[in-house]
Amino acid sequence: MVKKTIFFDKDKCIGCCACIIACKMKHNSPPHPTIPPQGEPTGMNLISVYHFGPAFSEDRVIQFFQPLSCMHCLDAPCINVCPTNAIYADSETGAVLVNQKRCIGCKVCIWACPYGALHLDSKGRMEKCDMCIDRIKKGKLTACEATCVARAIFVGTPEEVSQIQAKKAMAKIKDESPG
Amino acid sequence: MSDGQMIKTTCKSCHGGCGVLVTVSGGAITQIEGNPDSFTKGTMCAKGLASIQEVYNPNRLRYPLKRKGERGEDQWERISWGEALNTITQNMRDAVAQFGPNAVCIGQGTGRGYNIHTMRLASSIGTGNLMGPGHVCYISRLMTYAITVGGRLMPDFHGWGGEFPKTIIAWARQLETNNPENEMGVWFLSALEKAKNFIIVDPRATRLASRANLWLRIRPGTDAALALGMMNVIINEGLYDQEFVHHWTFGFDQLRDRVQSYPPHRVAEITWVPEEKIIKAARILATETPAAFMIGEPLEASNNCTQNNRAVICLLAITGNIERPGGMVNWKVTEAGDLEEFGREIRVPKESRGGMAGGDRYKLGVLSRIAHPDTIFKQLREDDPKRVRVMHLQGTNPILSYANSKAVFAGLLKVGFLSVADLYMSPTARYADVVLPVAHWLESDGIWDEHARFYFSAMVKAVEPPGEARSDYWIYNELGKRIAPQYWFENVEMIFDYQLRKANITWEEFKKKGLLARTGKDQPYYKYKSDYWRDGGGFRTPTGKVELFCTTLEKFGYDPLPSYVEPNESPYSTPELFKEYPFILSTGLRTLYFFHTQYRQNAWLRERQPYPLVQIHPDTAQRLGIQDGDWVWIETPRGRIKQKAWLFAGIDPRVVITQHAWWYPEKPDHGLWESNANVLTTSDLPCDPATGATTFRALLCRIYKVEEGNG
Repeated sequence: MVKKTIFFDKDKCIGCCACIIACKMKHNSPPHPTIPPQGEPTGMNLISVYHFGPAFSEDRVIQFFQPLSCMHCLDAPCINVCPTNAIYADSETGAVLVNQKRCIGCKVCIWACPYGALHLDSKGRMEKCDMCIDRIKKGKLTACEATCVARAIFVGTPEEVSQIQAKKAMAKIKDESPG
Repeated sequence: MSDGQMIKTTCKSCHGGCGVLVTVSGGAITQIEGNPDSFTKGTMCAKGLASIQEVYNPNRLRYPLKRKGERGEDQWERISWGEALNTITQNMRDAVAQFGPNAVCIGQGTGRGYNIHTMRLASSIGTGNLMGPGHVCYISRLMTYAITVGGRLMPDFHGWGGEFPKTIIAWARQLETNNPENEMGVWFLSALEKAKNFIIVDPRATRLASRANLWLRIRPGTDAALALGMMNVIINEGLYDQEFVHHWTFGFDQLRDRVQSYPPHRVAEITWVPEEKIIKAARILATETPAAFMIGEPLEASNNCTQNNRAVICLLAITGNIERPGGMVNWKVTEAGDLEEFGREIRVPKESRGGMAGGDRYKLGVLSRIAHPDTIFKQLREDDPKRVRVMHLQGTNPILSYANSKAVFAGLLKVGFLSVADLYMSPTARYADVVLPVAHWLESDGIWDEHARFYFSAMVKAVEPPGEARSDYWIYNELGKRIAPQYWFENVEMIFDYQLRKANITWEEFKKKGLLARTGKDQPYYKYKSDYWRDGGGFRTPTGKVELFCTTLEKFGYDPLPSYVEPNESPYSTPELFKEYPFILSTGLRTLYFFHTQYRQNAWLRERQPYPLVQIHPDTAQRLGIQDGDWVWIETPRGRIKQKAWLFAGIDPRVVITQHAWWYPEKPDHGLWESNANVLTTSDLPCDPATGATTFRALLCRIYKVEEGNG
């Protein structure tokens, strides 16, 4: 199997956040501990969606939504800094995974992650997106990709991601070209 | 049910009906995901996926309950189903005997697949007082389609006729996240990839605003003026579909005269949409066809409801989009026929229909067979002799959902006997005499046919309901068996067999099959050119044409041509009030996580959005000293509520948009009046003359920060 990566297409995402709930369903995540009326919920999800805008430039609306989870970096800083080798790359898929039994909760991986995509679970062990590794190995889509109504999430090879972006760039050039 | 079993079913978390796969192990649900082999292609939204938190919510109702103590005291006694059902039907029978059938009201909330069962129960009792929110949500649109075109039209995103929409217009509609009435977000988003033009008509920069080539930031409540202005451009520039208009429409000359009162410069003043954008949008709609129109509910939640819809339907008609592939199509239903017949086939006595609440005024409401809720509660408040005495409500929270909550509440307290069927002890259930526990859709069998479209699908029970909870269908059938046995069935399965009989398939067979559909080459287009609706061609309207001049409205004494009236409250209609309440208020900010009053007790969804939000423009907020996340009072002459400020630059600084239907299951009193947007709305007249619709999207309000001393 060729190594896979996750691609979040901010040009397509509508910010519906179904991916967040699909991920919670897949991983049977408990609800966050603090709910109203005590205060604002606290807790992290394995995937987040950030809203930018709207802002306005002349007559254009600038607004987009950016989903973000672990990027499953090919040269992952979290793996490099982990003192107990709890984080590793799956040899088959390239998914960056964590062996929670080895994790000591030192949090150095959280410092190292350039995306803020890692956090500790309620037991103080590092928790992150596992690329739905069991689904991927069965040939299924990740829970987030499968549920995405906007088709804004894609798990595939870096080459496939390049092709998606190239296609978009060409469409834009075609739109803007005279005639 | 064996271990690790995969069950195919249909989601009922909103109107849509997405295909679902449920994994069940040891009698418990372990996974919920979209079904890739369904029309929704494996996609699901947050609400549907969070259903597991509904199924296993410890606060679910488990047993039928009878009130102890005063109404609203929340003291209950467990009773048997037999006692519960017999108590309800005995009260119904007594009311019918003493006051006639209209003394019984059967009510439900937004459509949930059992609409036709609700209607059948009301019809079998013989009451005209079938209560629902249809006058402000979808039914009025269907009625307007019926009198104008002869049937409902839906955007064709499927390409079965060889074309996809070249232009898509989202008119007060965000199908990408909400309100899938017949169309589904996944179909729309896929068609959007292929469309050349995307036009948004909305007071707010919606989630797709950056992808639109034109966003018309309309003043709330002025939709009819905008559509009339566009028609002015299209007709005066000769851009309309001359062939279609000539052969297939009625009253074009009168429409042409009418739109002369709406030149673009005047419409720009009314709607706050710049003149050049109105003209540009009109030209795109007329020339870049086929065009698919997604029409939203705000057009109906208006005192100009019928004419808002009439204006937009006339616009899509004169641009030649009716029954054109990639345009607006009336889908041919499956071989099972029109499943809605199950609701309609029992005749309601003429005197009941004539005497239904609002029946003397709102003639389109009478045609729809749904009574006028505001009148029902008004009659109750005023001890009108015609008032409802017994009310059975299923899946509805009138206190939160209808205009002017405090007035609705006062009326509800005067109902002689109230029964409520729900999954939870809802704000409305708390004031009932008998409460019935309802099974979740994952615990129910059913035929999902929320709207007549090109397919319907099976809802298949995945797990057993908690305690003695039963499906909505079962409850309707058991009530029906007791009150009008000749119209009801031995069991629910026999109902489903009966509904499927024309397709020559049983429920057991259908359940395995999963759905019945008519797609591709089996879906005819241009049906008016054949004998489909009328011998020799034509539409199912009195004139056989698309009625730009509507003979039905003329007969009823309403304006037969589309027209614009100013909202009851606005800077222009009530300038004095505007000085005190200087912002335009819409209560139309939909959420991603809740469906009207539902899901506030769902932990996964509530943690996504714990509190209600009100959109305020940053400039306005700065002027009022309000920061993002501050609690803000929103006040109208009816009362005030608080929600949290969401500073949002994508609205006009003069407009404020709140979320609706908020309550707090975790608070002892449900926080019923704290954040409920219908504390702000009004059911005062005048409402829409034909449907009785009231305004939810264009009121006046003032806002100020919640501070010590004003809380």
